[in-house]
Amino acid sequence: MAASAETTLDLVEAPIRVPQPPAELERTPLVANGRSFGWLSNRVASLIENKAPGWWWVLFSISLLGLGLLIFCMSYQISTGVGVWGDMRPAMWGWGIVNFVWWIGIGHAGTLISAILFLLRQRWRTAINRAAEAMTIFAVMCAGIYPLIHVGRVWYDWWLFPIPNANSIWPQFRSPLMWDVFAVSTYFTVSVLFWYMGLIPDLAVMRDRSKTKARQFLYGLFALGWTGSNRAWSNYEKAYLLLAGLSTPLVLSVHSTVSLDFSVSQVSGWHTTIFPPYFVAGAIFSGFGMVLTLVIPLRSIFKLQDIITIKHIETMCKVTLATGSMVGYAYMMEFFICWYSGDPNEAFHFSNRALGPYQWAWIPMILCNVLIPQLFWFKKLRRNLVLVFIVSILVNVGMWCERFVIIVVSLTREFLPSSWHYFRPTWVDIGTYAGTFGLFFTCFLLFIRFLPMIAVSEIKGVTPQADPHNPLGGAKVPQFVHEEH
Amino acid sequence: MNMNDSSTGTPLDLGKWRNVPKLLMGVGGALSLIGLFVNREQFAYSWLLSFMFFLSLCLGSLFLILMHHLFDASWTVPIRRFCEHIAALAFPWMAVLFLPIAILAPDIYTWMHVNPQFDHALRVKQPLFTWWMFDIVAIFCFLVWGVLAHRLRYWSLQQDKTGEARATHRMRRYSGPGIYLYALSLTIAAIMWVKALDYQWYSTIYGVYYFAGSVWLAIATAYIITMVLDRQGILTPVMHEHQYYYLGSLLFAFTVFYAYIAFAQYFIIWNGNMPDETFWYVLRERGTWWWISMVIIFGHFFVPFLGLLRIDVKNVFAYMTPLCIWAWAMHWVDLCFNIMPVLHPAGFAPSWQDVTCFAFMGGLLSWRFLAEFAKYPPYPIKDPRLSEAMGLYHPIPAQMSGAELDQTDEFPDAPPQFGGTNQ
Repeated sequence: MAASAETTLDLVEAPIRVPQPPAELERTPLVANGRSFGWLSNRVASLIENKAPGWWWVLFSISLLGLGLLIFCMSYQISTGVGVWGDMRPAMWGWGIVNFVWWIGIGHAGTLISAILFLLRQRWRTAINRAAEAMTIFAVMCAGIYPLIHVGRVWYDWWLFPIPNANSIWPQFRSPLMWDVFAVSTYFTVSVLFWYMGLIPDLAVMRDRSKTKARQFLYGLFALGWTGSNRAWSNYEKAYLLLAGLSTPLVLSVHSTVSLDFSVSQVSGWHTTIFPPYFVAGAIFSGFGMVLTLVIPLRSIFKLQDIITIKHIETMCKVTLATGSMVGYAYMMEFFICWYSGDPNEAFHFSNRALGPYQWAWIPMILCNVLIPQLFWFKKLRRNLVLVFIVSILVNVGMWCERFVIIVVSLTREFLPSSWHYFRPTWVDIGTYAGTFGLFFTCFLLFIRFLPMIAVSEIKGVTPQADPHNPLGGAKVPQFVHEEH
Repeated sequence: MNMNDSSTGTPLDLGKWRNVPKLLMGVGGALSLIGLFVNREQFAYSWLLSFMFFLSLCLGSLFLILMHHLFDASWTVPIRRFCEHIAALAFPWMAVLFLPIAILAPDIYTWMHVNPQFDHALRVKQPLFTWWMFDIVAIFCFLVWGVLAHRLRYWSLQQDKTGEARATHRMRRYSGPGIYLYALSLTIAAIMWVKALDYQWYSTIYGVYYFAGSVWLAIATAYIITMVLDRQGILTPVMHEHQYYYLGSLLFAFTVFYAYIAFAQYFIIWNGNMPDETFWYVLRERGTWWWISMVIIFGHFFVPFLGLLRIDVKNVFAYMTPLCIWAWAMHWVDLCFNIMPVLHPAGFAPSWQDVTCFAFMGGLLSWRFLAEFAKYPPYPIKDPRLSEAMGLYHPIPAQMSGAELDQTDEFPDAPPQFGGTNQ
């Protein structure tokens, strides 16, 4: 179509000329190469129906080893006590909470993509929402381990819940740590529900395609008798919209609540009003970093380039850039207000962050979270998959450093200089953290092996043939008069 | 336009209101001038209050334009032009309106009387809190807003002439670094012009707080202007019901965002309970300021939040118009809560000068806005996303491929050239 072509439209009250976009500004189709419904179903289902490739077994074995390490470290810590961690007065919060916040942050992208981007009518989300939601659930599981085991006597974890008991022990509701329990458990529950509900139509597809009785039974069981009837779809869409509405405040509330763990205190570097939105931006930033880390290799290995197109990667890079810049704004405001307030404790603390013994964590924090994502301003770099993959890993390196800087630097240099010391993690700290990767990747590898990692029904909905206003979707050709100049 | 709820009603004839801006400007200006001599301090504060209100509107509109370009949005095309005109009021008009603040700054900002050598809170802020830096900050802010608003509007008008991709690309190039400059300038303006009224107080979120209220105000204003232009038939050819729905949804989103930011600031300060932070709120809990804070909680959050929850109301003019006007009132109250307790610590004390200054600035800016609006096409007539904004199908020829290339059962009603059988 010529760039200068215009359409004269007589459907409106006063005929106006509606310009066609110049060729270079045409929208890119969300599914490349005009793939058909059948092709999409076959491609996604084949990932489950075919035999597991060799690389999957290799990665799964490594992940299982990691999971074993986690179980060992947890068992050792539970049987011996939390003293096996490197936490020592005054830094009674160490790697445990750093890793908790890091994992819970990663767990923000999935529900953001499925809920908020759904409400914002961002149709590109359909290619990545399923995998991102799964990632969210597994990341929250990894995060949830830390609060559960850090109490030492894990058999008393149930005291976290307001259950009437003989000893009249009641949770301290004024503590943000309690708010965390409810925020995270609610987020996890709703995320699982959302993820599972989105899976139902695809589970039915897998059920109908199954060639073995076992598969037919299991997929059928979890497909909840889905028939694909008009009424079923109508109810499904309504429920999806409602869950999206419910999940949206949760996406914002969880990391806001996590931020309150720190900001409601008076500790230097923690007590700052920008923490809630800054933590949420950081969480989305790290979540998208992890989605990119997972999606870039998967689309190549599974040949999903027509579904997860380069445009999808670019868009995710833009979200990463935007949220990284918001995090940068928060860093800047923290430094500025530290100077502006004239508080000597804050001034010492922020100079200590940049120039003190933990400078090794502060420099990558600034580099990876603020400066390196600025590369995504350039289209050419956004389309360089190797670079994007490296940056996506650096994003999460930077975000881990950020949590370390916030938590450990503040605590090891608190108000009483005689208590200062240098925090060193123990092998149990390191083993537990490494083990959570084992849990995460074990779950994720099982997910891509047994469940459709792309939302087939949703991706079909963004193709031209699903659009009733598109000729490919059955629409009659509109009565346009094209003029070529 | 295919909308039921929002298209009913006779076309608006605003001819008889044509002179209202000039009337407001004349009467408001004259009375404000009298106010300057009657009570200079009250005049200065009233002027600052109105100035920050209308600055919110300009900056909120500028944000909508920047987002339009950065997101490559389509639904915002019909409303973009008038947003460009509002944003362009930032320079020179808002800069001119800033002059009385610059001149009367010693009447407004107590830090200008304090010797920094005897005040730790002021000494640490040197050299930012000096006369010359106060002016440099103002020059920087107006320069940023002026360049951004005018260059974006210039390229938007260039786009009207040619429809070339170059204009679209240029606007995006301005918006990229522009959003950073915007964030910096808005933050420093909020700090220097409002937060500095209590110069001992600090809050890292304050820039975001002013931003949230500004965009909220701009969206409410955009809704009203869109509706008026639609009912006059000016925007009707390019309107679709989703413009109203999205504007309403965005208003809802920013209602929540503002509340979230305001709550975060209050809650963290309340919990920390440190005197160098809490005094700001303690002052605002005295006398009738307490009730004003209740008005903000309920009027700025609960009323619009509950009012906008339903999906369908966002398209009903009779419902949305009072809500948008309410948003104006609430934003004014919010700014009043931020500014006026410094002058009237005992309680809320509205003054006739608040009204006259507001009338003068409102009249002047409306007059300039209408003059600019009349000069140019009312919407970007050659924007590449215009057809999408109108909800029209944009035919992109697409070739089916894959296993069912030769099958047409998926689109039985499609015309033959697209593989169907429909004649």
